[in-house]
Amino acid sequence: MSSVATIVLDASNYALILLLIALGLAIIFGLMNVINLAHGEFLMLGAYTVLSIQMAGGPFWLGLIAAPLAVGLFGLVIEEVVIRRVYHRVLDTILATWGLSLLLKQSIVLVFGPGSHSIEDPISASVMIFGAPYPAYRLFIMAISLLVVTATFLFFFKTRIGLAARGVIANRNMAACLGINTRNLDRMTFSLGAALAGLAGAVIAPLISLDPHLGLGYLVPAFLAILVGGLGSIMAPVVGAAGVGVTENLAATFLSPVYAQLIVFITAVLVIRLAPGGLLGKKRRQT
Amino acid sequence: MDKPVLELDGISAGYGTGLVLQDLSLTVDRGEVLGIMGRNGVGKSTLLKTLMGLLKVRSGRLTFSGHDLTNAPSYRVAAAGVGYVPQGREVFPDFTIRQNLIMGNLKARNDDIDAAMDLFPVLRERARATGGSLSGGQQQQLAIARALIGRPALLVLDEPSEGIQPSIVREIGTTLKQVSAEKGMTIMLVEQNMDMITQCCDRVVFLEGGRIATSVPAAQLLESPALLNKYMAF
Amino acid sequence: MIRTALSHMKTESLVAGILLVVLLLLPLGASSWLLSDLSIYFSYALFAASLAFVWGHCGLLCLGQAVFFGLGAYAMSLVTLGMVPGVEGMVSTWLGFAAAIAVPALAAQLLGRFLFHAQGLQGAFFGIVTLAVAFIVERLFINWDFVGGLNGLMNVPPIVLGLNGDGYELWEAVPLYYAALFVLVLGFSVLAALMRSRWGLALKAVASHEMRTKSLGYDTAHYKTTAFSIGAAIAGLAGALFVVQFGFVSPSLIGFGLSAEVLIWVALGGRGMLVAACAGAILVRVLESNLSSVFGDTWLLLLGGLFIVSVMFLPRGLVGEAIHGLDRWRAKRRKGGSTPRGKAVERLSPSEYTAR
Repeated sequence: MSSVATIVLDASNYALILLLIALGLAIIFGLMNVINLAHGEFLMLGAYTVLSIQMAGGPFWLGLIAAPLAVGLFGLVIEEVVIRRVYHRVLDTILATWGLSLLLKQSIVLVFGPGSHSIEDPISASVMIFGAPYPAYRLFIMAISLLVVTATFLFFFKTRIGLAARGVIANRNMAACLGINTRNLDRMTFSLGAALAGLAGAVIAPLISLDPHLGLGYLVPAFLAILVGGLGSIMAPVVGAAGVGVTENLAATFLSPVYAQLIVFITAVLVIRLAPGGLLGKKRRQT
Repeated sequence: MDKPVLELDGISAGYGTGLVLQDLSLTVDRGEVLGIMGRNGVGKSTLLKTLMGLLKVRSGRLTFSGHDLTNAPSYRVAAAGVGYVPQGREVFPDFTIRQNLIMGNLKARNDDIDAAMDLFPVLRERARATGGSLSGGQQQQLAIARALIGRPALLVLDEPSEGIQPSIVREIGTTLKQVSAEKGMTIMLVEQNMDMITQCCDRVVFLEGGRIATSVPAAQLLESPALLNKYMAF
Repeated sequence: MIRTALSHMKTESLVAGILLVVLLLLPLGASSWLLSDLSIYFSYALFAASLAFVWGHCGLLCLGQAVFFGLGAYAMSLVTLGMVPGVEGMVSTWLGFAAAIAVPALAAQLLGRFLFHAQGLQGAFFGIVTLAVAFIVERLFINWDFVGGLNGLMNVPPIVLGLNGDGYELWEAVPLYYAALFVLVLGFSVLAALMRSRWGLALKAVASHEMRTKSLGYDTAHYKTTAFSIGAAIAGLAGALFVVQFGFVSPSLIGFGLSAEVLIWVALGGRGMLVAACAGAILVRVLESNLSSVFGDTWLLLLGGLFIVSVMFLPRGLVGEAIHGLDRWRAKRRKGGSTPRGKAVERLSPSEYTAR
């Protein structure tokens, strides 16, 4: 019984982190039609922000706050310098962000070295759940992910700027013709997406070993999540991340991490084959 | 005489490498209701899309209320005071009527929304329905109300009567006429429907070959079927 | 339009011809050290050509092209090392080449059947799925003990001319150089011929206007799947050509890293022309072996930056831009500068295609 609880908690934990990452990807794609292949590196930058602050003697919590801010700001700059110039050419956004990901990885290698680093566990205590000890920090991750995801959804579904953003997702040209400042929304979106990735990187930093190539391992499942969930919907990553995250985590627990990735990939391709628009897919206007 | 509210000076524009508008010049006076007519494919919709910044101006100049809007992004054109009702309405199908109206003006207050709904009572009756669940005529009314809620100085409409039952077409015509009279709003109306043109317009221009072929007072239109034959018949 | 396309091709063929002559004569004056480096680069050049075909000509941005290169390399190694279950006695290089072509082609066929079916994946998402494939296949090979896991397979034999692993072994620099060049030219010619055929023209139409081509009655999914498989087969051949020279295959050949590199070569060289892509691969490799000691870790940084800049500002690539410039210069000279020319790489639209 207790191990079941642990397994369920671990799976939800992973699914929630994946959701943070996939949500950023999905809103960037939904709004800007940009496929951000540097998203994994944004996550990596978030983790390395925490590392830098730890190396400077600062507390983890400062890093946790600084990471989304720093990465969000970085996203803003990247949007202005690179994305803005290619965003009407979808394939080129892939290439440009992909080049950016190589650049970021190599920069981190130059600054921090190619080896791996670790972050001290900020909360070492455990909590008893169904009679089994469970790391308190993992519960904290779940709480903060839920909080941020909820806040993001409230922003999109309860505020007027969120409405405008969803309007841009549904019909970019019409929204612009109604006076929605798409330029500012693009800046905001890219930055917000980057910040979400940065936050995800910061929260998982104490659980993993940090190396410059860690991004891809999160980017791939996050992309599969939005492909499976469906494009052009902000809700889709929830379904996708839950499906991909739980499947992968359970398969990794009972089989091996490699088989888990293989199973998730094959399942994802099957879903895409059977429901090309994704599970929650909607027809998007092609503009 | 006031300066014209809208000036198009030698505009060329089109899709891909082809030009649809070729050296088109047009001025629209403040408060005028201008009908734009012509056969299919002469560039009526292209003209409106170019005005809205949806198509690139290859050459020429576009001035609105003293602002140079040549190749300005659409949101700047809208912010300068142009309201757009596109062909096919393009309401947001998943948004409620109220949300669709807010898209027209993010700063709209409740009384602005009320005022917009007053124009077309059916919008109030179905305020909680989604845009996609409305009939074509209701969507058209919504699209017009959505454009008006931003208090535009110039309203441009692309075939508002297309595929809509005659009674609603008349209602739309009456409302447009009334709004233009009350607020002194300028209107550009691309239309094939003669009733709508004669009901609303002060002046009509005919497009041919990507430029303005002729311009006549709307009243003259009924008296001279030859014009219609020349520019509209196939 | 057709005339400009023709005259454009001519410059491209001219450049290819000149390069071929230079490469054929090179052993007269070059050190055997340079020759053996170059003959390895030839396999990279062929690999780059396969991506230029799939991406530049067919519009399928494949972010995992190394999967097929790696599959080819592994297939060749397993055959010539006598590791194929059931037929351990068969160690023929020729069988190895056949396997190195067939295995990746089949893999691509299978993947294509899934991805291009019906509406299929939009171009961009195809890229992501291939990226995922590269990521997962690399992990799979790292954890697959039969193919040596992380260490890979060592002591892969060189090309042996006999029918079953006997006879003349190709390991001396000059013969190997010519053999590698021959394989490169062979693969290159196959792709070039395909691109110029009617079938290739239809592919181009699929790449530029898929919906329109589809509505004209073309089975676009089938076209894309076949093109993807052919690209995979050539990449596999390149992989085999690599491993018979390098003697060693490991998961780094099959995954994300090499996929990234080949994309950079092709983007910097020029995705629109096979010869530009090949030249891009060879140039980057030559520069890398000479400059990476100078730049150290910043070399990759430089390469990445150059890649982004070329995506943003030079979609034709550096070599492609040069060939394009040469082409314009020739056209100007030929016609006395009288004909105005637009973009030289004009795409034939499906309507124009059917009109022919």
